[in-house]
Amino acid sequence: MSVEWRLLDLMVADCYTQMAIDEAIAYARGKGEAPPTLRLYRWKPSAVSMGYFQSVDEEVNLEACKRLGVDVIRRITGGGAVFHDYDGEITYSLIAEEKNPLIPYDINESYKVICGGIIEAIRLLGLTAEFKPINDIIAGGRKISGNAQTRRYGSILQHGTVLVDFDVRTMFTVLKVSREKISDKAIKQVEDRVTTIRKELGRHVNFEEVRDALISGFETKLNINLVSGQLSKTEEELLEKFKQKYASLEWVYRR
Amino acid sequence: MGKAELKVPGGKLLRASSMVKDGRIVEVKLTGDFFMHPEEAIDELERQLRDVQLNEVAIRRAVEAFFLSVAPTVLGAAPQDFSEVVLRSVSA
Repeated sequence: MSVEWRLLDLMVADCYTQMAIDEAIAYARGKGEAPPTLRLYRWKPSAVSMGYFQSVDEEVNLEACKRLGVDVIRRITGGGAVFHDYDGEITYSLIAEEKNPLIPYDINESYKVICGGIIEAIRLLGLTAEFKPINDIIAGGRKISGNAQTRRYGSILQHGTVLVDFDVRTMFTVLKVSREKISDKAIKQVEDRVTTIRKELGRHVNFEEVRDALISGFETKLNINLVSGQLSKTEEELLEKFKQKYASLEWVYRR
Repeated sequence: MGKAELKVPGGKLLRASSMVKDGRIVEVKLTGDFFMHPEEAIDELERQLRDVQLNEVAIRRAVEAFFLSVAPTVLGAAPQDFSEVVLRSVSA
């Protein structure tokens, strides 16, 4: 018998709203005022998110972002800078209480379990993918999903990307890619390190297909039943508060 | 301002920017794509590195003391990686 979780289905909004919703749910879940939740979303306008510990100046080409209309945001999760392309990515977030029996308390283990949902989704689309510690999923040896987690307010919040398509040029324009990082992986071309659902399948895949697969993938691997719901009034109020934080220069330039 | 970066093999990238004066650390900023839980612990590490003498032993001891007392969970880097990148930045 599977447990019921709330599904907040594919939502399109700007980066401030998306990150504020994730945090609002984590906060509310910690207080027992929200159910465990899976969200699916897309970023409009496209945005760069950097990890909690990253420096804006080191990671982001702000002038290019401004010119291209790409927003810039700092996450509450660690990890690397990501270019979230509206036309190329579905993002998920999973929020549960830290002691949820379905998710390991150990952080490394919990990445593996949660990423299992995405790997299953990719399998349903006809591809083979595997978890690559610390926080990546690879298909054909190349990264197809990146994930980041925090433990806060008594909740687990993990969010991550599923690449559907890839705009390398814009990514290189908006991000400052570390030379050392590339050389460590001993591969120079980013195309050799990153892949997408469309590229692997060799056909056009629409966002609805990926969305459906993600819902089934998480249901199967976490043994949950996802039921469509919406944000509560409490969460709506919280999200407005968090949104102000995410949009503030103080937060963006924090490191 | 001394800057250094360290790619942890099989792990993440750490960067340090440091300001030094009169044989001591004035300020260090640690950035990168690692994970530290709780995240705010990084502020405490930077605080504990202030005023530390510019020698390897003192810097390693300050970093180790932080990891012992605060005991954060770090993914993608080990305590000695933080020491190493700080050391590189102060001698850069």
